[in-house]
Amino acid sequence: MALSKVDLANQVENQLPQNLVANNLPFRNIIINGDMSIAQRGTSTASITSSGYYTVDRFGTAISSLGTWTNSQSTDVPTGQGFASSFKLDCTTADASPAASDNLRVFTKFEGQNLQYLKKGTASAVSLTASFWVKSTKTGTFILELQDVDNARTISKSYTVDVTNTWEKKTITYEGDTTGAYDNDNNGSLQLNFWLGAGTDFTSGTLNTTWNANTNANRAVGQVNLADDTANEWYITGVQLEAGTTASDFEFLPYDVNLQRCERYYYKTYPQGTSPGTPGWDGSFIMVAHANQSYVSNTVEFPVEMRTKPTITSYSGDTGTSGKWYSNSTPGDVNVTGDTTFIGRKRANKYVDGVNINAGKYVGGHMTANAEL
Amino acid sequence: MNRNFTLVEKCYSHFTNQFSGYKIIENGITSSVPLDEANTDYQAIQEWIAAGNTVIDNPPE
Repeated sequence: MALSKVDLANQVENQLPQNLVANNLPFRNIIINGDMSIAQRGTSTASITSSGYYTVDRFGTAISSLGTWTNSQSTDVPTGQGFASSFKLDCTTADASPAASDNLRVFTKFEGQNLQYLKKGTASAVSLTASFWVKSTKTGTFILELQDVDNARTISKSYTVDVTNTWEKKTITYEGDTTGAYDNDNNGSLQLNFWLGAGTDFTSGTLNTTWNANTNANRAVGQVNLADDTANEWYITGVQLEAGTTASDFEFLPYDVNLQRCERYYYKTYPQGTSPGTPGWDGSFIMVAHANQSYVSNTVEFPVEMRTKPTITSYSGDTGTSGKWYSNSTPGDVNVTGDTTFIGRKRANKYVDGVNINAGKYVGGHMTANAEL
Repeated sequence: MNRNFTLVEKCYSHFTNQFSGYKIIENGITSSVPLDEANTDYQAIQEWIAAGNTVIDNPPE
């Protein structure tokens, strides 16, 4: 709901329920996990040179030949703001001279069906305001971009990291776009890009500060190169994107609500705090053979309906090896079939086939389901 | 996006013998990708194939 919908003029402020106070509208933050509190995939991944989601849920890293990085969920946060976690990138191999097409971004994406109230592509298109805390050893100009994936349109605004290694709050407003509606579906329509480095393919033009058809040369003009020194580190937390032209207080959600929102995009059978691939049986499933048989299967129910049919990764509970489950019939890991016939948005069934399992013995392990944008 | 597939292999249903998905290995992790156009791994596989890479295909006899 846009802030402008609240008719405060006709309300008595002290009679309003807390959730109707203008600065506290529920679910006003378009971003999920903006406080970086959920990190189901793990809390640290090293040697990153390719794109993907590595630690903090809903925040990915896009890399094209620009440095090597460690991504972690950090406890370094701005003092007194209520945050407990941040997203951190640490440069471990520098690249001080990016080639033209090299680039580095941290991104989060949004489904089109959650953006219809922004009325993009109409004369009533709503402005968006981004606010976030950032800390960087590298000072200077950084670019924060909105990317309309459905219509290949972008808008970029710059912000300045003024003081090295110091938490600073930034607020940036983007006007509404009267061209190009978002598709009303479960695919990614809008992407928020924190640029961290770019070659001349993205910097040789004039910064695109109004919505336009995408021109790569105008996307990251002026962006400093965070990859130019292995001493460089970059943190963000408290990321909020909301309708309107002003930034409200960060919307803190209960942990369980935040986790469930993340589980629409990524789910694991492991306990929270345990990285997939860690040997162990806590939260795993087993399938007991009731007779000597060569086929056993298992269904895992997802706690929330996932965005789309997910990619399934199976792990041995004994060794943590992917693509395997453990069998105690002939003790050791066995292959899980790659068949995805029975994978759906609410549950997934996977099986092993062609492995002798004796009566009373079991096969078991863990599973992750990935439906990220 | 720049993905790091080291294997992409077609998978066939145990029950119908129909093409049912892909087995992939990326960054040493083996996963199963359903045939769903909204799945971003499925989308990445199609881009990987379009870029000239080869999918392993051993259909059941």
